[in-house]
Amino acid sequence: MRMIFTTVFVLALTISQTAFAGQTYSLQVDGLACPFCAYGIEKQLLSVDGVQDVVVDLNAGSVQVTMQDGSTLNQATAKQAVKDAGFTLKGFNRAPE
Amino acid sequence: MRLGLKVLSGILTIASAAHAGPQTFNSALPVAKGQFIFREQLLFKKASDDPSIQNRNLNVIGSVSVLAYGITSDLAVFGVLPYLNKRLDVTTPGRRVTRDTNGIGDMRLFGRYTAYQKDMPGKSFRIAPFAGVELPTGDDNATDSLGVLPAPLQLGSGSWDPFVGVAITYQTLDYEIDLSASYKANTAANGFEFGDQARLDASLQYRLWPRDLGGGVPGFLYGVLEGNLIYQDQNKIGGIADVNSGGTTLYIAPGLQYVTKRWVLEAIVQLPALQKLNGTALGDDFIFRSGFRMNF
Repeated sequence: MRMIFTTVFVLALTISQTAFAGQTYSLQVDGLACPFCAYGIEKQLLSVDGVQDVVVDLNAGSVQVTMQDGSTLNQATAKQAVKDAGFTLKGFNRAPE
Repeated sequence: MRLGLKVLSGILTIASAAHAGPQTFNSALPVAKGQFIFREQLLFKKASDDPSIQNRNLNVIGSVSVLAYGITSDLAVFGVLPYLNKRLDVTTPGRRVTRDTNGIGDMRLFGRYTAYQKDMPGKSFRIAPFAGVELPTGDDNATDSLGVLPAPLQLGSGSWDPFVGVAITYQTLDYEIDLSASYKANTAANGFEFGDQARLDASLQYRLWPRDLGGGVPGFLYGVLEGNLIYQDQNKIGGIADVNSGGTTLYIAPGLQYVTKRWVLEAIVQLPALQKLNGTALGDDFIFRSGFRMNF
């Protein structure tokens, strides 16, 4: 009984997270070369409407942007946010759902 | 009581950069649009290399506050305000005296524009000219029991002094190289004019840790080596050149810097590797700087 309850709970949690997780985008950013500069990218992208989370990977030069449920990010907006942070957007990909 | 060049030059060349980068001069690294960066730098300068018989000993303790703001990602403005305590011990005929003063010094305001930028994966090359003015916010008429302090010991120059320069930065994930050339035209006030100053600066920052980069945004520990070549013209008193002022100094400055996404901790010591000063101008022993920077 306990096993069934746990399984149902985990399943419900997974479904719930999937239902409310927004679209994720992978940005390739040129010029990112130090930790202090990464803050500017985060701040600019987090100020875009609908952006829920921003994760920078310095070594890969990539930025993962997670949107709120129902929101999308277009390339022009991402490019402007990256430019406002002082860097150059080189790649823009929407992660498969 | 001539103090010569070195009493003030080490202070007036206070680092004004606010982003991560060199500790003793400007870099061309970006300040994001709408972003503030605050920097506080503590300094201790000792100058006792006195070729005269006055056996002068100058200690300067101070803090330098810097606020930077990104108007756009290319155009940033900076304000630099020092708070200084200067203490000079000198032998005069018959006795040894101490003269000191403390308070805010001259504020610097300047703008910097990124004129050229080439970004590559994990690398960036930038050229950014800058220009500004040093305002006479420091007291330039302070007195003590012996009378009005000599101009080089005052907290401020009393004059409006423009400066221009250019900063060049090549930054990679492993290291960073910065170069800067600048010129400051000092003007006269109270019958005294500091000599104009020209300087060339260079910095190498090499990532010591972590040796291998993982994911995310790890903190970087940089080993730092900077050099400052500073030429200062002779001061003028009542329009007459002071032959015991001005000259050329080359500082070599080893340091450390720990950089995270939100803050930077750093320390550096500027050692005079070469001092070719005029007459009996007072030479430096060292300048120690330490502080932090914060993003917000």
